[in-house]
Amino acid sequence: MKIELKGRIDSNNASQVEKEIWDRLAGHSDAAVTLDATDLEYISSAGLRVILRLKKTYRDLKITGVSSEVYEILDMTGFTEMMTVEKAYRVVSVEGCEVIGEGANGKVYRIDRDNVVKVYKNADALSDIQHEREVARLALVLGVPTAISYDVVRVGDSYGSVFELLNARSFAKILAEEPERMDWCVAEYVKLLKMVHGITVPTGKLPSIKADALAYIRRMQHTLPPEYGEKLLRMAEEIPESDHMIHGDYHTKNIVLAGDEVLLIDMDTLSVGHPIFELAQMYNSYVGFSEYNEDIVLQFQGYPASVARAFWKNSLRAYLGTDDPRRVNPVEDKIRCIAYADLIDWKCRHGVENEEDRATVALWTQRLIELLGRVDSLAFDVPADGNTPADELDIEAVTENLPRVLAFVDERLEKVACPMKAQMQIDVAVEEIFVNIASYAYAPEKGKATVRVEVSEDPVTVTITFVDHGIPYDPLAREDPDITLPADEREAGGLGIFMTKKFMDAVTYTYKDGQNILTLTKNL
Amino acid sequence: MLHIEKNLENEKAVFALEGRLDTTTAPALEKELRDSLDGVTSLVLDLEKLDYISSAGLRVLLSAQKTMIKAGEMKVVHVNETIMEIFEVTGFTDILTIE
Repeated sequence: MKIELKGRIDSNNASQVEKEIWDRLAGHSDAAVTLDATDLEYISSAGLRVILRLKKTYRDLKITGVSSEVYEILDMTGFTEMMTVEKAYRVVSVEGCEVIGEGANGKVYRIDRDNVVKVYKNADALSDIQHEREVARLALVLGVPTAISYDVVRVGDSYGSVFELLNARSFAKILAEEPERMDWCVAEYVKLLKMVHGITVPTGKLPSIKADALAYIRRMQHTLPPEYGEKLLRMAEEIPESDHMIHGDYHTKNIVLAGDEVLLIDMDTLSVGHPIFELAQMYNSYVGFSEYNEDIVLQFQGYPASVARAFWKNSLRAYLGTDDPRRVNPVEDKIRCIAYADLIDWKCRHGVENEEDRATVALWTQRLIELLGRVDSLAFDVPADGNTPADELDIEAVTENLPRVLAFVDERLEKVACPMKAQMQIDVAVEEIFVNIASYAYAPEKGKATVRVEVSEDPVTVTITFVDHGIPYDPLAREDPDITLPADEREAGGLGIFMTKKFMDAVTYTYKDGQNILTLTKNL
Repeated sequence: MLHIEKNLENEKAVFALEGRLDTTTAPALEKELRDSLDGVTSLVLDLEKLDYISSAGLRVLLSAQKTMIKAGEMKVVHVNETIMEIFEVTGFTDILTIE
């Protein structure tokens, strides 16, 4: 129930005003009553007593649209502490202002050189603004470079929050105007993304993005053949929970360069979860949305589909820390499973109205079914802390190179704070395997070996893979030495592999496509 | 890197090892031992400053142990926790005289 207060309320008219209010409230039992003070010029103590009596009956009484003069009176008399008093909002016009960003819930305009305003799409945006302010504050405290709004304003029929952003320019604009800065944009974009994903959020502070994803998969599942729908849901359910931060709308309009600082804006979708959900939304921003009609990405981001696709591919490679298509492509397949599910649900909820809509949904559905035919799990290794990417060393397999191999492995172990004892055990295993390859794989010729170190989290696990193209040789087939024999009967051979098996949590060997592939896995 | 400090006195030899005893450094220790052990009846290996030992290092220790069984005795002293772990897993605690 809303009641307007107008003009002046003092001893001359207070009893009249009071009677009118009570007449209008007759029979109204809800405690929530709002007094709209937008047109209230002055209120005296007689008027304040009217409000006090109302407050006794209507406990959740609220006064809104309060001018700064009236606010001063309410503040001095302690009313601001007794009830909710909302100030009138400064009115800002965004007519003719440059749009510098756009998110799910609103557009960001530059209102002058140093300030921007984010205008919310829905009219009753005050609770959204409050929410965004809270999560932005949380993100800032946890180390994310972001802007926090300092004022709430009225923009037309909606509300906006004002941020100070010096000379801000979005990555979308940079890519549109200076496509040659692609590599720089990718590097900064991925650096910030990994930083965000590396942040652990205290329990209960942010919603889980997985819950959201499961909800849309359950809604759109029926659009697929039953066995595919069930497979998708089961695989999504198996994606591990995570307490790491997810931005939720991470595309180039929400990353801005302000001065020489790269900032993340539009924080209202902040959540926690596995990065596959973030990557799926990224895929959609650059590729998925515009997969049927490529003009969409040009309209939204301001650069052509070819740039968007390249930006996505380069970013994914940088995020995974490898250019190797054997690593990147399977992960992209998993990401696209989630991405298409999201798109299909979104489109179905927003209405499939014309031929293009129908063709678009058909294309997404067809691609998703193709993927579900070959993808058997949506889990993939997340680079630990968001800053220890999988890494490879290609090196000539000779024993002289052992120190380089050990240095390469140790450097990566140090980044994940590997305990001394585990590091020594891993070194022993790495030495044994590498020296084996160096001694036997190509003898008497020489050849190369690839050493790959990957770290995954929860629990922290190190996986080291050795690949060579030498003769097929399974070092694990060797019988364990008898370690109970006395010294004079002991043989020195086989101890290295024996220790490797003892110290690692898993050691596997396969020979495939002309390659010996040996992996060591150690849980830290 | 492995640093070997040798101390020879009559029939007594003390080798203090510092650093890493692995595939690349084990041959140096093997050579030092071979060149020095003629006529030695007591060999002491001081591993206080040894950070790391791999199977290549164990091979040299085993070979020295075998030599010294015939010639006299060999002791391994000041074994730190890291190295002891390797000795335990490989059964070397049973064949070496560790003090």
